[in-house]
Amino acid sequence: MSHSRLASPRARHLPAVGLLIGVCLLTPGRVSAWTAEEIAAGRAHWAFQPPVDRPPPAVRDVAWPRTPIDRHLLAALEDAGIAPVADTDRATLIRRLAFDLTGLPPAPEEVRAFVADTSADALERVVEGYLASPRFGERWARHWLDVARYAESSGKDSNVPFPHAWRYRDYCIAAFNDDVPFDRFVREQIAGDLLDVRDEAEQARAIVATGFLALGPKGLADRDARQFRLDLVDEQIDVVSQSMLGLTLACARCHDHAFDPVNQHDYYALAGIFLSTDTLYGTHAQQRNLHPSTLLELPPAAGLPPAVADLSAADLARLERRVADLETAAEEMRREVAMEQREGGNPVTGFVRVRAARDRAATARVDRSLFRDDGSPRTLAMGALDRPVPVDSPLLARGELDQAGDLVPRGLVEVLCAPGEPRAIATGSGRLDLAYWIGSRDNPLTARVLVNRVWLKLMGRGLVTTPDNFGTMGMAPSHPALLDHLAVSFMDDGWSVKRLIRRIVTSRAYALSSVHHEANERIDPDNTLHWRMDRRRLDAEAIRDAMLAVSGALDETPFAGSLVARAQEDPFGLAQVIGQLRGGTFRHRSIYLPIIRDQIPEFLGVFDFPDASLVSGTRDATNVPSQVLFLLNNPETTALAEAFATRVGRLPGDAASRLDAAFEMALARPPQADERAALRRLHDAFITDQPRGADGARRALVAACQALLASAEFRSLN
Amino acid sequence: MTDGSRTTHAPCPGHLPPAASRRGFLRSTANGFGGLAFAALAAREAAGSGPLAAREPHFAPRARRVIFLCMQGGPSHVDTFDHKPRLAADAGRDAPAGAGRPGRATLLAPRWRFRPRGRSGLMISDLFPEVARRADDLCVINSMATDLPAHPQAFTQLHTGTTQFVRPSLGAWTLYGLGTVNENLPGFITINPPVAASRTYGSAFLPAIYQGTRLGGGLGGAFRRRGPAVTALADVQSPLFDRAEQRLQLDLVQDLNRSRLELDGGSSPEIEGAIEAAELAFRMQAEVPDVMDLSGESNHTEKLYGIGDGVTDAFGRQCLLARRFAEAGVRFVQVTHGTWDHHFNLGPALENACTQVDRPIAGLLEDLDERGLLDETLVIWGGEFGRTPHSQGTDGRDHNNRGFTIWMAGGGVKGGMRHGATDDHGYAAVEKRMHIHDWHATLLHLLGLDHERLTFRYAGRDFRLTDVHGEVAREILA
Repeated sequence: MSHSRLASPRARHLPAVGLLIGVCLLTPGRVSAWTAEEIAAGRAHWAFQPPVDRPPPAVRDVAWPRTPIDRHLLAALEDAGIAPVADTDRATLIRRLAFDLTGLPPAPEEVRAFVADTSADALERVVEGYLASPRFGERWARHWLDVARYAESSGKDSNVPFPHAWRYRDYCIAAFNDDVPFDRFVREQIAGDLLDVRDEAEQARAIVATGFLALGPKGLADRDARQFRLDLVDEQIDVVSQSMLGLTLACARCHDHAFDPVNQHDYYALAGIFLSTDTLYGTHAQQRNLHPSTLLELPPAAGLPPAVADLSAADLARLERRVADLETAAEEMRREVAMEQREGGNPVTGFVRVRAARDRAATARVDRSLFRDDGSPRTLAMGALDRPVPVDSPLLARGELDQAGDLVPRGLVEVLCAPGEPRAIATGSGRLDLAYWIGSRDNPLTARVLVNRVWLKLMGRGLVTTPDNFGTMGMAPSHPALLDHLAVSFMDDGWSVKRLIRRIVTSRAYALSSVHHEANERIDPDNTLHWRMDRRRLDAEAIRDAMLAVSGALDETPFAGSLVARAQEDPFGLAQVIGQLRGGTFRHRSIYLPIIRDQIPEFLGVFDFPDASLVSGTRDATNVPSQVLFLLNNPETTALAEAFATRVGRLPGDAASRLDAAFEMALARPPQADERAALRRLHDAFITDQPRGADGARRALVAACQALLASAEFRSLN
Repeated sequence: MTDGSRTTHAPCPGHLPPAASRRGFLRSTANGFGGLAFAALAAREAAGSGPLAAREPHFAPRARRVIFLCMQGGPSHVDTFDHKPRLAADAGRDAPAGAGRPGRATLLAPRWRFRPRGRSGLMISDLFPEVARRADDLCVINSMATDLPAHPQAFTQLHTGTTQFVRPSLGAWTLYGLGTVNENLPGFITINPPVAASRTYGSAFLPAIYQGTRLGGGLGGAFRRRGPAVTALADVQSPLFDRAEQRLQLDLVQDLNRSRLELDGGSSPEIEGAIEAAELAFRMQAEVPDVMDLSGESNHTEKLYGIGDGVTDAFGRQCLLARRFAEAGVRFVQVTHGTWDHHFNLGPALENACTQVDRPIAGLLEDLDERGLLDETLVIWGGEFGRTPHSQGTDGRDHNNRGFTIWMAGGGVKGGMRHGATDDHGYAAVEKRMHIHDWHATLLHLLGLDHERLTFRYAGRDFRLTDVHGEVAREILA
């Protein structure tokens, strides 16, 4: 590997830097750019002031708070005249923890052990166990993948597969499991190829991280190559700024910002950084792909897992024969069409036929190129590298190519830098500067944005309810001092996400009941002040994983690679992937499901999986009829209900005790009397109603198990 | 069935407890969640407290429902509904300055003859002979304009008003404004939407209950395609249990849900939402397959829509489904047909696209008319933009956003009418220009909604479909 080089982090000392970006409004009449005074004034916005950890305010009820988080929350509650509700029961608490930290339900014996364990450190031990579990990374990486608009295809018109995108997914899982410091995590994704590394393994990992820049949606069928390149850069600016800074910098592409002191000049300074970067996303030239790209090949010494199995000598020979056959066929088609043309054939259909034949040959060549001559698969990854010679971007009036103005030197955004500080990039593309500037303690946004994302996933709502927008058009924090406390302590903890999560889930606030409280609700109906825990609907992955786990069907081994990597690279490949899922034989955790843009697996789509082309800090949590139909009638969920019933049917005891056990497995608590009675009613009705000879007991059990999986409580966190 | 006579749909009007006591009522029916509880839910909707309850518009509506026939890709206006004699006369000359690449684009004459149609004499080309027979129903807006000549942005703007932000779709706004009149069906259905176009039926920040239910056009969601043209409700039948057994099973689900509701202190929007979703699902299961079952339609009707004819069969079925949904009380039905993006091979491709939709559309208008539904159903035909009067290559047209055509029929618009005009060649709207915002404002007006008053507070701001724009085109109101 030749890309290793010693990084020279530019420790930027930024005073109260400021950048104001909000809703992107076109202002056709505006001619004047933002003045220096206006930019200076914009820095007063709260999110651009450095976070300061002030001592938590005094509270009257000194016995209630357990941690500084609690004191911050209680102070605001007391001001509003609200008392927090009671703590939740221990069974509810461990279920909450298990889902929040691992995305899986606790087993009944785990629940019973925790309920019985009254020792002082019982909670801490459970939390440590979940944080140390490999399932933790699979849960939390998925949250980041939402923000990183992760997917395994190009989306838009062509939707060409990205068969190597999964390496970035696995990189994220490992990063969360290994608790890679978040500032490092950020820097690796922007400039992993340029960072100083210890060895080839670490370098390979850091290069895979730059897949973040490569796996965005792409209009591969766009005819204009320059336009394509500018759109790619724009998408990179958008994902970096929204995911890491909570800002929508891409707004300044076409015009100076309407309200906020960001000029087009700033945008094109940033664009130069990405124009000086080679984005390697793979894909090969074909009719629907006018912008193919290469990939990065990583050395075997890096020890990365293969995407596909070795090919036997016979299979390799077969593949080579296929390449040769298709190349011959393409050549024959060319000759045939040429002959037809001379006889007055339709030039358009002729062209399409030749092109299709060549595409088939090209696809086969790509399939062959995945393997070395000994049949072992090459280790390929998406990513980014600096171009040999950096370039600057011209300023494009209205963002249009034919209105190019002067070149703008590559650099960081003016308003984000200290007055007088050199913003220009000295050497290279500038990605390294950008990486160190974002992954930095001096950046007032990075830590705040991240702790807010984590808080949102654990508490149900963000302290800032617009997690992807901390600009002036975003919402102000409900608890600014608490946000700052979390941000500063997070950085003091070495940017450890696990310690941040531990800090939050061991607070008393996290352990509150989610029960309704009439008086409090009148004062604070939205629970903005957090007088109770918000009730949350589980996300799609947790619902599917929980159904697999409860029915005993979950395969906890990480899936090697991806179904997309194993599919053919032709248009039928992706359709085959979706077809494979229909069979319901894929029983790995949901994070390993293939994420093809606009063809999201049905289970995920039904439960509000986000648009995989957009930065998504929050997810919808709808309650719609199609979900019920899916849970009660879909072959996949029905098969899981049957597996669940089979598992329960093997338990010792009578029908009543089995129904009790099923309830406890599904909902992590024993049934109450009325619930037991309802289960019994269904059971008895089924037994009575069955025609002679039918297995009424078995059918009753399946129906009951399915009802438990379809109950609202199964998919909600209390 | 007409909405005017039926603004609510309650199964047992005699036994409705007041909506306010609904929670107590739900708790009291400890033994099974049977018909009485359904009645209670219906009562809530009738009382106007449910998100889908039929609501009074701001003023007397001229249309009760919408069928939007969306031609994705940008159909050529100058070859179909915008007659430009000068374009034919100037064919072969250089395109005017600023249009196309200098010296490389020449004006391309429409090759299909325009003729006066109906009593009104509206000029429509031979590409639409069947629709032309309904000319006196059509209100042809020749002066449409949209912001950008790029598909995704323009298509999104057509449906949401904005080119870039995630905003609620036209159908979602309509459902939010008016509610629905048949709670056994989704209030907004979109048939065959293109992939990557969920924004065209999304609810964005409006409650999710207002999003369109997708039928065909992709994978996932409540509906999915089965075969090339036939569409069906997904997961409508249990592979294991018959309807009676499933009722028992659903009773158990609802018992568990009610028990949870009680544990939560008797109030939980999440659990209550789940209870309602489960009941609507059960009702949809029964009703949607019936609505979608075309087997009871007469030969006459099938012929009207071109069903059974290979070219028109697919779109004909979709149009017939649209009528059946509209008739059954669905507020907003969207049918997408693609693709009209004729950069090259315009002659055969445009003719083919028009043939696929011409008879089905004419059939839909006729069928609605025969059933007395056309007066209160607004039928819309159009795409995200038009195409350039000059040629692209030898036989193609490029995107044209500055002037194009959309027509509407039925529900409160004047028939046999032309509104606005483009310049001599058809490049830009020059007379009574109707931007998408104006068009949206006009649509809402026809439905009895004031586009300035139909707002939703989100993130501290009142949002509108028309943002801060929009002017109602009063000349076209019947």
